[in-house]
Amino acid sequence: MRAALLSREVSSGLRRNITMTVAMVLTTAVSLLSVGAGLLIVRTIDDIGALYTDRLEIQVALTQDTSSNDPDCTGPICFRLRNVLESTPGVGEVRFESQQEAYTRFKELFAGQSVADVARPQSLPSTLRVQLTDQAAGPDAVRAAVANQVGVREIIDQRDVVAKLFDFLGGVRNVAFALALVQAVAAVLLISNTVQVSAFTRRTEVGVMRLVGATRWTTQLPFLVEATVAGLIGGALAGVGLLAGKFLVVDDLLGAIAQSNVIPPVQLTDVLLTSALLVPVGGVVAGLTGYVTLRLYVKV
Amino acid sequence: MIELRDVTKLYPASSRPALDKVTATVDDGEFVFLIGPSGSGKSTLLRLLLREDRPTGGTISVGGMALAGLPRRKVPKLRQRIGCVFQDFRLLANRSVAGNVAFALEVLGKRPAEIRRDVPELLALVGLEGKAERMPHELSGGEQQRVAIARASVNRPPLLLADEPTGNLDPETSRGIMALLERINRGGTTVVMATHDDTIVDAMRRRVIELHDGTVARDEARAVYGAGR
Repeated sequence: MRAALLSREVSSGLRRNITMTVAMVLTTAVSLLSVGAGLLIVRTIDDIGALYTDRLEIQVALTQDTSSNDPDCTGPICFRLRNVLESTPGVGEVRFESQQEAYTRFKELFAGQSVADVARPQSLPSTLRVQLTDQAAGPDAVRAAVANQVGVREIIDQRDVVAKLFDFLGGVRNVAFALALVQAVAAVLLISNTVQVSAFTRRTEVGVMRLVGATRWTTQLPFLVEATVAGLIGGALAGVGLLAGKFLVVDDLLGAIAQSNVIPPVQLTDVLLTSALLVPVGGVVAGLTGYVTLRLYVKV
Repeated sequence: MIELRDVTKLYPASSRPALDKVTATVDDGEFVFLIGPSGSGKSTLLRLLLREDRPTGGTISVGGMALAGLPRRKVPKLRQRIGCVFQDFRLLANRSVAGNVAFALEVLGKRPAEIRRDVPELLALVGLEGKAERMPHELSGGEQQRVAIARASVNRPPLLLADEPTGNLDPETSRGIMALLERINRGGTTVVMATHDDTIVDAMRRRVIELHDGTVARDEARAVYGAGR
């Protein structure tokens, strides 16, 4: 089939059916956008994991008495706790943070907020900050060693806090993928329907092709190309949507915490790669749907 | 050109076969009328010849191609050897006369130079010189059928199937179309024409195969439409 004929048939097919074409493109785009968002979230979760694993500590907060009376961890209670922790397997460095140091950090962390003004050094506990060498067994070993010991108020595993963030992001990812799946079903059905309508509106052309003995390939190709073009456009729109999402939403909302290294920023290269991936995925899925539809429902 | 042997076609929804052990041979260069009341199996037979459908039993060969074992990818080859025209012309309304003929050549992958050469030739064959740029709706029924015949001739097929080609035309116009089909037949093309038009059949005095309830009721050379007329 000659390229001129093909492009004429395809463009006339897409134009004649413009409302369906637009619906097909948009559904495909939204579906792929959800897929892309889900992929980026997965990527971000991995990045966060890598970012935090080394930094996570277990904080052993000391009681009020100990905190106030022992500003440099030389008193018997704190000193003993420190020794116990340092000899616990799986534990690396143990660092003491006094009330005053905690207060300084607190002021920095909440600078400009009213809570920073009302805080007093006495109201914050001093802590033993435990770095782990064994991320798997370490936390339990620390708990077993110092839980309920004199001078210990609370054991805070930062992992628990981060786990909540992971759970949340995982939930968002699942929602994105579920949405993508539902949208994908809708998109596939729409593509299939559009191909059928397109074949019906061109039944005279198709009939002529069949009668004069055009090959099956020649007869089918315009429909497949139509579907594929719509899929590619849908994929491109989804890519544009992802980029827009990064610049207009993610960077805006998460930019500040990303800069302070609490969560990793969503990298532009990741977004570009994902966007670039969505375009061929859109084309291939639409083309395959078109092919199966022609096989099953349309005599061409 | 055509060999039918015990051709039977059963449609799943019907208890009576649409064709029941039809046997007939059409030689190269013959002109054959296929007559019979509606539902007698004429259209089914034409569909089988085009391999739009497969027979339930029996064998068919067209132009030396046995249709039974014909793989799907060879079906276009078969159809390139068969020209086909219908009662309703089936022209593309948004293309000119030349465009309609050119479309058939384009989808067969012909080069633009070939198309520029063939289209005027084909239009001259059917007597439509000078009307190349007209649109189908600007043409009379007879002229539209001529376009359809020109288009059916793009492959210079050795066999032309015509399904009620004069069904929508007045007698005068019909005579013109018949003259054209006769001329094509004299050029060596085998013509099989399904029709209800007794006047034409009687005037032409060609071979008549009459189907009745899916069987061959009559097969006579130089015959008329109805024995009792």
